[in-house]
Amino acid sequence: MGFIRRLLLGDHEKLQDREFINQNDEPEYPSSTKLADNVNYLMHEFHNTNDLRIRILNKGNASLLYIESLVDQGKIHETIFRPLEFNEVDSIGEIPSAKHTLNLEESIRGLLKGHAIYMEDGRKTIAQFAVTSSFNRSTEEPQNEKVVRGSHDGFIENLMVNINLIRRRIQNRDLTIKYYKLGKKTNTNVALVFLDGVTDPELIQEIETRLNYISSDMIHSPGYVEEFIEDNTKSPFPQMLNTERPDRVVAAIMEGRVAIMTEGTPTTLIAPSTFFSFYQASDDYNMRWFTGTFVRLIRLTSFVIAIGLPAFYIAVVSFHFEVIPDELVIPVKQSINEIAYPPLIEALVMVVIIELIREAGIRLPQPIGQTIGIVGGLVIGDAVVRAGLVSNLMVIVVALTAIASFVVPSNELSTTLRFLTFPLIFLAGTLGFIGITFGFMMILIHLTRLESFGVPYLAPVAPLRFKDLKDTFIRVPIYMMNKRPRDSRAVQMEAIGPSREWKQIEKSSQSDEAGKSINQPDGGNNKTDK
Amino acid sequence: MKKGLMVIISLVLLTGCWDERQFKNVKLVLTMGFDKGEDGGITETVSIPTIKRSAEGGSEEKVQIISTEARTPLEARNNTDLMVSESFDPAKLRVLVIGEELAKDNIYSVLDEFYRNPTNNLNAHIAIARGSASEVLTYQNTSDTRISKYISGLLQGAVATTHATGENIQLICAELFEEGEDFSLPIIEVDEEKQLLRFGGMALFHDDSYTGMDITANESIVFMLLQGLKGKSARLTHKVSDQHENERYNHVTTNVLKLKNDIDIKPEGDTVSVEVNLALKVRVVEYPADHLQEKKTIDELNVTLSEEVTKDAEKIVAKMQEANSDIWGIGRQVKAYHPEVYKKLKWSETFPEIDITPKVKVEIVQHGIIY
Amino acid sequence: MKPASQSINQTAETIKPTNNTKEQKVSRRQFFYILVQTQIGVGILSLPNELHAVSRQDGWISLLVAGVVLPIVLLILWLIAKRYEDLTFFQINEKLFGKWGGRAFSLLYSCYFVSVGVLIVLLFGRMISLWVLPNTPFWVMAVCIVTVGVYLTNGGLLVLARFYTMVSLLLLLLITLSFYSLQEAHWMYLLPIGESGITKIILGAKEALLSFFGFFVSIVIFSRVEGSVKERFKTMLQAHFFVTFFYLLTLIISYTFFSTKEITFVPEPILYMLKSFELPFIARIDLFFISMWFVSVATSFTTYLYMAGQGLKEVFRLKTAKRANVFISLIIVASASLIGYDMTKMETFTKYVIQSGFIFTFYIPPFILIVALVRRRIQKERDEG
Repeated sequence: MGFIRRLLLGDHEKLQDREFINQNDEPEYPSSTKLADNVNYLMHEFHNTNDLRIRILNKGNASLLYIESLVDQGKIHETIFRPLEFNEVDSIGEIPSAKHTLNLEESIRGLLKGHAIYMEDGRKTIAQFAVTSSFNRSTEEPQNEKVVRGSHDGFIENLMVNINLIRRRIQNRDLTIKYYKLGKKTNTNVALVFLDGVTDPELIQEIETRLNYISSDMIHSPGYVEEFIEDNTKSPFPQMLNTERPDRVVAAIMEGRVAIMTEGTPTTLIAPSTFFSFYQASDDYNMRWFTGTFVRLIRLTSFVIAIGLPAFYIAVVSFHFEVIPDELVIPVKQSINEIAYPPLIEALVMVVIIELIREAGIRLPQPIGQTIGIVGGLVIGDAVVRAGLVSNLMVIVVALTAIASFVVPSNELSTTLRFLTFPLIFLAGTLGFIGITFGFMMILIHLTRLESFGVPYLAPVAPLRFKDLKDTFIRVPIYMMNKRPRDSRAVQMEAIGPSREWKQIEKSSQSDEAGKSINQPDGGNNKTDK
Repeated sequence: MKKGLMVIISLVLLTGCWDERQFKNVKLVLTMGFDKGEDGGITETVSIPTIKRSAEGGSEEKVQIISTEARTPLEARNNTDLMVSESFDPAKLRVLVIGEELAKDNIYSVLDEFYRNPTNNLNAHIAIARGSASEVLTYQNTSDTRISKYISGLLQGAVATTHATGENIQLICAELFEEGEDFSLPIIEVDEEKQLLRFGGMALFHDDSYTGMDITANESIVFMLLQGLKGKSARLTHKVSDQHENERYNHVTTNVLKLKNDIDIKPEGDTVSVEVNLALKVRVVEYPADHLQEKKTIDELNVTLSEEVTKDAEKIVAKMQEANSDIWGIGRQVKAYHPEVYKKLKWSETFPEIDITPKVKVEIVQHGIIY
Repeated sequence: MKPASQSINQTAETIKPTNNTKEQKVSRRQFFYILVQTQIGVGILSLPNELHAVSRQDGWISLLVAGVVLPIVLLILWLIAKRYEDLTFFQINEKLFGKWGGRAFSLLYSCYFVSVGVLIVLLFGRMISLWVLPNTPFWVMAVCIVTVGVYLTNGGLLVLARFYTMVSLLLLLLITLSFYSLQEAHWMYLLPIGESGITKIILGAKEALLSFFGFFVSIVIFSRVEGSVKERFKTMLQAHFFVTFFYLLTLIISYTFFSTKEITFVPEPILYMLKSFELPFIARIDLFFISMWFVSVATSFTTYLYMAGQGLKEVFRLKTAKRANVFISLIIVASASLIGYDMTKMETFTKYVIQSGFIFTFYIPPFILIVALVRRRIQKERDEG
């Protein structure tokens, strides 16, 4: 009935394929009715590349083109030739799954995506078939962000798979994805993922603006995007969180942040990010909240240790040895008495050695990497002390510093911390404690001045917002994090409603039962079961 | 960027300038002694441990003891510096020993340097040496610990057993300056026969000099209790009867559990009278005569003990007054609570004259795990 | 590609002002901490001794007197600021004294702020040289504190406020450390109360007023603070009483730890007291204290730098105060280095700064208020006539 009505009313709108890239911007080149012209144009545009396969069909009246390295031969057979074989259609151009176009430029884009195109002499229409081959590794847990409990999958190099991982976790129509093609030559797909209605529209607009300003031939890693759009590039601190974990990205999106994903890399950028978000790990939310808080506090202390401990040690042994408590004076003196170099040099040498070991360990295959660790850590460490080049206290201090810097869940911040050790070491070597205070103050002021997409980097500590401290220094039970933090710029603050009302009900019913417990003997049992 | 580079370069170049004092290049002085020298000068004795680390990780320690004559402590330090390798630093001083003679003269002249220069350690124990400080410092102890550790350990032990106040250089400062308040310092003696150092009681000071009067080691517990101080334990032994043939049965040893002291100052016209009330709650820790289950025994003991301790206290008060050493700071209290009376008095002349009556009340509250 | 991005660019420009930190107001909590951090600074270490020199152990009463009297001045400042709610102090000057008169007035005030800045740098340098780094040249210390100041001020008032709020945690630490020392307190040393007599106590109160000079910042940034006029005044009072309490605490602690005689020898009692304490894991707490105190001094200094910079900005109609700040700090380093560690020069300088401090913070504000009242009356009469 509806069909007839529509027919009568003439309300028959033809739907068209949605294109996520604005068509008007793209160049156009109309196809010709001559097959040879079309083929020649394509050959010319592709500079006679050898992997462009041209299969001549229909005794030279038709041709099927595809880029050999991008397509799956099996799929070509499946989608194009099988319907012919089974006589489902008369000609390839009539296969229903084909997408038709009159624009040769569009077919070039199709070819580059891994489509096969079919052209016939005497017809302008070009049929495109999606026969892309994809080689995906499995969505394994990322090596650099492991967790003990929680989900164990990770992003891979395929954008579609990555978005799939997010969509599976947020089954909501508000989850919005915006595609961008960045890189004038590489045409890299970049996706902006956010939750409409929660994320601040101004924030999205801001990010879009910044993305649109990118004018670069190549976007090949998130590092590129990051440096193009971050607020302050003259800062050692990363202003966007990098992660390969879907659960982390989902959590960020649900807080109202925006995820920026790039084709060809598993790393996702999250904006805006604050200093404290680098200290949150997915594990925290799977632990008891007591332990979660404890671990958080340890991590945040590690910040101070990582950047300040060597400096503190240097300041103590070369400026203010009065602060060593009486009981420790002799042991410390014993350990450093006959070291040839001043503590500053000692510290620099050791810090550089640790960096060397680390850098050597990353690139080498795993079995050798372990050897490096043993040789570097144990053998050199021991020998250096025995040779009297470096005091054993300094080895302890530097090792502790390195360990503390690795505690940070984010790799970028960890590198930053180890880098910041150096200026503080020099300051401590020049002015002692005063130098350290000076250095820390400068770092703190820098952090206070930094902003990430309009959000103060040190939020919620500066500006202070007591309510949001619940997920920074401590982690309160999840049901108490009922409001989204201010630093995500979320427009919808409510995140969790009252979820433990059952407790009240249980309590009241229990007190009721206390009166008539004889009547309902299994009331108590229920409680113990839960 | 350029600015940052400049800053880094200058930092690197400036490193190690100005105030660097490398800990490894310092001769640590942990114990220091001062004696009266000739012509109003002083003799400074220092013990400097030198630590050598052997390749195996162990270490051996040599102690150097140096005495120098000079006019002032810092001049003496300069002289010492000329004799030791590297430089000499008392920033981690543990123990400061002052010879008896010098202390009788004046101790502030020696201490001024410690108060004035910021790197000095005001936490150091301070003690008076019976005889000379250099004797105490040069004493070769048989145990292998450092002399600083030996003396500070000795003094800490004395504090724990309620023999000494835990005075350090800073804590006596207030009493040194303040009118109507005096202090006492522990005495260290060398026992030649037994080859030991020994705590020898408390030296009573008036203003900034040693009066020559001591509270002996045995009396010092009651002396501390009268000041309201108690260490971890405070054991008093007193004779309580003559009935038993065996002398040891006549004694009781008690450990003070709780004390309450109260100094009651009453202005009487032009002078003041003072009542020192001390209430002790004690536990009997040694009493061979036994039978403490009977209330009568305990009551009797309470009475005799109270009398005995009061006697001790009276002796101590007499000593203090003779020495004119106002340990309680009665003068300061008079000044605080009765300023009009204080103005009329010349305190340092009044103190030996005033009436001080100690009243001690001992109460046995526990008797250990047997009666 | 290009035209599209341009159109977006325009929209971004329109969004910007809301994001711009410069235009945002500071919250009242931040206002509180700005006031507190500005006042608690270089003076706190020497305050007990200075008060003791005048009114002996009754110094704390002097402080209380000063603390009670000062709200009157606060009220005057508030009455001025209230009248011109959205003008900065320097703009108010222009409004009241005409274009050139107001500018000259603002310039004078800026000079005063600069001289206080110089004084802070001098006192800081001297303290560090006395206690921690005796051989380090003065200019190093001056450059240190000025660098911090410029870097912080150039971030704008909001960054200033955020930083102050954050470092106020240190005050808590200082208070805890101070309480630790109460175990050695001899309360008797405070007695007899009132020994020095009322005149001495009043004189001491005048001395104590010095340590509150920083409250002047309240009128300079008044227009940049959130909340109703009354609420802001309440915050001013709260901050004032907090500072009074903090000073009182330090005074009482130093007067009970040191005997009445002894404290006359000790210029910085709190430090001296901490020097003699030892915690099991760390000795010489004074070194840590002085390092933390550096932060307090830096914050006070920064406020004065900020005020001077704002003044110059207004006087010379600059777009931002950044250049002015750098210029001022160069002047400060130069003039402070001229005086350096020289005690006699410094004393003369201190005397001048204190005198001008009294003039600028206590005597002039009532005058401004009177001018404002008269102006308003004239305005009214003119309107009616």
